[in-house]
Amino acid sequence: MNTLIYTAGLGMVCLAMEILDLRKLLVPVILLGLAVIFGVNLMSWADSGPVIFAGLDMSSMLLVDHFSVAFNGVLIVAAAFLFAMSHDFYKDEQHHLSDYLTIIVFILCGAMVLTSYSNLVMMFLGIEIVSISLYILAGSRRHDLRSNEAGMKYFLMGSFASAVLLFGITLLYGASGSFKLTEIASYAATYGMDSPMFLVGSLLVVCAFLFKVAAVPFHFWSPDVYEGSPSLVTTLMATLVKVSFFAAFYRLMSSGFAGIDPHTSTILVIVAAATMIVGNLVALKQINFKRLLAYSGIAHAGYMLLAILSLKTNSASALLFYGATYILATIGAFAVALPVFSSTGKETIDAFDGLGRKKPFIAGMLTLSMLSLAGIPPLAGFLGKYYIFSEAIHNGYVAITLLAVITSIIGVYYYFKVILAMYTKAGEDTEIQFPMLYSIVGIICVALSILLGLWPGGLMGLL
Amino acid sequence: MNQLIFISLSTLTIVSALFMVFSRKPMYSVLSLIFCFFTVAGHYILLNAQFLAITHVIVYAGAIMVLFLFVVMLLNLNTVADQIKTMGFRVAAMIGAGMLFLVLLASLKSTTLGTFSFPEDNGMGMVEHVGMRLFTDYLLPFEISSILFLSAMIGAVLLAKKEKR
Repeated sequence: MNTLIYTAGLGMVCLAMEILDLRKLLVPVILLGLAVIFGVNLMSWADSGPVIFAGLDMSSMLLVDHFSVAFNGVLIVAAAFLFAMSHDFYKDEQHHLSDYLTIIVFILCGAMVLTSYSNLVMMFLGIEIVSISLYILAGSRRHDLRSNEAGMKYFLMGSFASAVLLFGITLLYGASGSFKLTEIASYAATYGMDSPMFLVGSLLVVCAFLFKVAAVPFHFWSPDVYEGSPSLVTTLMATLVKVSFFAAFYRLMSSGFAGIDPHTSTILVIVAAATMIVGNLVALKQINFKRLLAYSGIAHAGYMLLAILSLKTNSASALLFYGATYILATIGAFAVALPVFSSTGKETIDAFDGLGRKKPFIAGMLTLSMLSLAGIPPLAGFLGKYYIFSEAIHNGYVAITLLAVITSIIGVYYYFKVILAMYTKAGEDTEIQFPMLYSIVGIICVALSILLGLWPGGLMGLL
Repeated sequence: MNQLIFISLSTLTIVSALFMVFSRKPMYSVLSLIFCFFTVAGHYILLNAQFLAITHVIVYAGAIMVLFLFVVMLLNLNTVADQIKTMGFRVAAMIGAGMLFLVLLASLKSTTLGTFSFPEDNGMGMVEHVGMRLFTDYLLPFEISSILFLSAMIGAVLLAKKEKR
């Protein structure tokens, strides 16, 4: 609870700093604030009392448990990386800097609501805070046609998905008579499978979530929006937002819909299989780096759906670990890609041509990030996949896990396409400007990837 | 009496909604949507939710639809839009939407609703009661929604402000 209040307060501080004309201090102040919020979040780990807000017990709205604290921690770290990169990314747009950063802080607030809600009202609010802020950021390059397209497309499709979500929530309320997750869970356990209205409601809510995490067949927005949005916003969507939606999805399935498991697991198995196949196969043909990572994100969504399928053995820690490794590897890749894009003016894979010769250290960072995404040991991405796959096998989903293994082997090919472009192709002689903050973010991400790959216990034993 | 009002209101709602979808001119669509909103507000009054009915009229019919009308008129959009959708697309959309409709219809038809005790108090949907609940049980969502609005407001300014160059 305090974590959320402090984060909202940080957003207000950002707005106030714009008024006081302190733009230069904005990024350091936000990073400092996030460090404080991380500490506040840590302190709530041991605190299992009821959530008190303005003297009222709000436990039926927000539930701070180990799950939410752990995910909040990962999200705060991801946000800190993004803010560190925003300093150089928005260098030419100083007059909008505080607007962008404030919106990203509010997205973090929404993500925190998503990790800790215990009421469908709060879940909807969290989803809308994140989504509406993202529509704005996706279309924030007003004079760039592709950014306009991305914002418009995301907005239209996203609001349609929100309507489906609301319709589903209405049906759930009509059947169970409550918005509270605990009461929905007890209704689902006793009457859920016999109540068609409840089943259809849950189907619609699940569909809306599948849209938000870009699972096949609800993925069509993702490549276009990822490609058209400003690259930093793409990074935000692919990392912080995706993982927070998965946390919310997991929370809904484990503490709301656990009683109707036979119904939802059939849907999720089909969707996860389609997501892994389509995501990996279509990624093979991409030449735009952002589209490539969009399809790779779709494929990773398929793997993370496996964690949501394996509810019976408490796969939350596997999802947390996978989410963290995915965030680290993706931010590591974008920390290299953002300056390369802005120096070369291209966003295709051949923008990286010859990087291995020009900047071997930076090319090495991108290589390690790509290997982590592909799941090559000893990097953390391998262990993330390993944990999720073994959870799925423990729950009896052997066939789909086999499919996941095969598709992730296919995935190695397109990650290597980027690596090969860096080391084997000659490339133009454009000077690549590589600001300090990007390399710091990249080094930390890659170092954490390696550390988590060697000592996974720190994160794996949390939940 | 109540039943008669309900049936006529429902007919009007469905007809105006259908007219909104099938009308080829955006202006007619907008106007029939406004009408549809008013009939839905009528439903709320039938359910003793006066506060919701008034809010619905003010926000949707009053603010949002007027905005739509202005956009349609100012941008002169009142022309028949070109149909660029292919046959396959239409068939797929029809099958998809039809299947969802069938599932929804079947599920609602076969659901036996539990019995919920209707509150004794007649003031259920009145402003005082809504306010009481909003500022006690639902205080947190109420406050959190301010983050949503603030974010949307910053976005509106960000996208609409004239750039100083």
